[in-house]
Amino acid sequence: MKKGLLPLLMIVLFYSDSVFMTFFSENAFNGAYVPVPRFFLIGLLFMSVFFDRNTAVKYGLLFGFLFDMFYTGLLGAYMFFLPLIVYVTSKLTKWLQSTLFIFFIIVLFDIALLEMMIYGLNVLVQRTEASFEQFVMIRLWPTLALNALCYILFAIPLRNAFQKFKIIFG
Amino acid sequence: MPQFFTNKRLIILLGSIIILVALIGFSLRDRANITWPEKFVKDVTGFGQNIVSKPAGAVEEFFDDVRRLRNTYEENEKLRVHLAELAQLESDVARLEKDNAELRKVLEKEESLSDYEPVQATVIARNPDRWYELITIDQGESNGIEPDMAVMTADGLVGKVKSTSKFTSTVQLLSAHDAQNRVSALIQADTAVYGLIEGYDEEKKMLKMTKIPSDSKVKKGQSVITSGLGGVFPKGLVIGKVTDLVPDEFGLTQTALVQPAASFYDLEHVMVSKRAMTKVLPEEEDRQQVVIEEEGP
Repeated sequence: MKKGLLPLLMIVLFYSDSVFMTFFSENAFNGAYVPVPRFFLIGLLFMSVFFDRNTAVKYGLLFGFLFDMFYTGLLGAYMFFLPLIVYVTSKLTKWLQSTLFIFFIIVLFDIALLEMMIYGLNVLVQRTEASFEQFVMIRLWPTLALNALCYILFAIPLRNAFQKFKIIFG
Repeated sequence: MPQFFTNKRLIILLGSIIILVALIGFSLRDRANITWPEKFVKDVTGFGQNIVSKPAGAVEEFFDDVRRLRNTYEENEKLRVHLAELAQLESDVARLEKDNAELRKVLEKEESLSDYEPVQATVIARNPDRWYELITIDQGESNGIEPDMAVMTADGLVGKVKSTSKFTSTVQLLSAHDAQNRVSALIQADTAVYGLIEGYDEEKKMLKMTKIPSDSKVKKGQSVITSGLGGVFPKGLVIGKVTDLVPDEFGLTQTALVQPAASFYDLEHVMVSKRAMTKVLPEEEDRQQVVIEEEGP
């Protein structure tokens, strides 16, 4: 029974991104900044480090696929990038000590990496005309700030939750 | 330093890059609607999204209401003034509508481009990564929604339906950066001036209306509405007001900057317009006549 809580947590995180968009006024700062919620990615990275990497890769693949189909309509992008980022993170945390502070830096690096890959892809398929400077000023910094805040608020509960799951799953 | 990629992993990586490119190529194709597996996934995800976002939307609305409660008195005063005008307006509209119907009967032209049937819908999600200006609404094929239908709020046109599944549809806003995102529009000057709404100026937050003949006299502040000539949009949906006029690079046509009437931000409730008149071809008998004429000497 308790094993079912893991997929449930990931589903909640998956929808939390769009629910955040419901509450967050898009006109804040006069629409000058576009902070993108990446709560699901943060949860996924916690899963890969404090639970199990291969499970995290599978979840990234599945939910990335859902994200592509439901939200963006550009198939394959998140489905490919999310597992890739989980893999890179697991390699990074092997070399670096996984204290919550170092992990904070890694998570921010991952989010920046994902944003840049998605931006690069959009430039490639000509879905955007924004220059790289515009992208950094309008999207990257606000996104990092928003997700850093989220990390500070939810890091300890998330870590505890995944450590408990590790005990439950044995 | 440990080896980053073993051979097996390299093959997996290359294989997935090939799949990625294939999938992106597939989804960028110019297609009328999404395939059935996509529809199925959308319905399942949309079901969950409905469960999550309906209560969230209700909570948000509650806070909005509380905020509005503070200006109730002022609003009430304003509304009372409007109400006095409304009675007159209502009787005018009723009279004009009756006139219109009668005149149409005289002309034997029952349907017009401006007739449409609105379908109310609630926005259940906005694309969280906000790259493509897409929103998802909770009405789909089962309510008669089809791709390319116009989507509007009470203020004016906001976008068009991009794809549909059984119970949800994805709407592309006018502010999206997409070459296929075009709307045939007209400016209500002394004589109607036709053009195309294509593109969005991110910095000025204005729509661009192109292909306006260079000799047409357009003034600032004139209204822009849909022309109904595109085939799917009804005629007469408000788009916005002209704020500026610039000649294009060759000087043959002009481009107008249009201040959109509806806000593309924080959409909650929208209407999808099902156009009553979708036939483009003339009636059956007329058509035959046309063919015979063409086959003449």
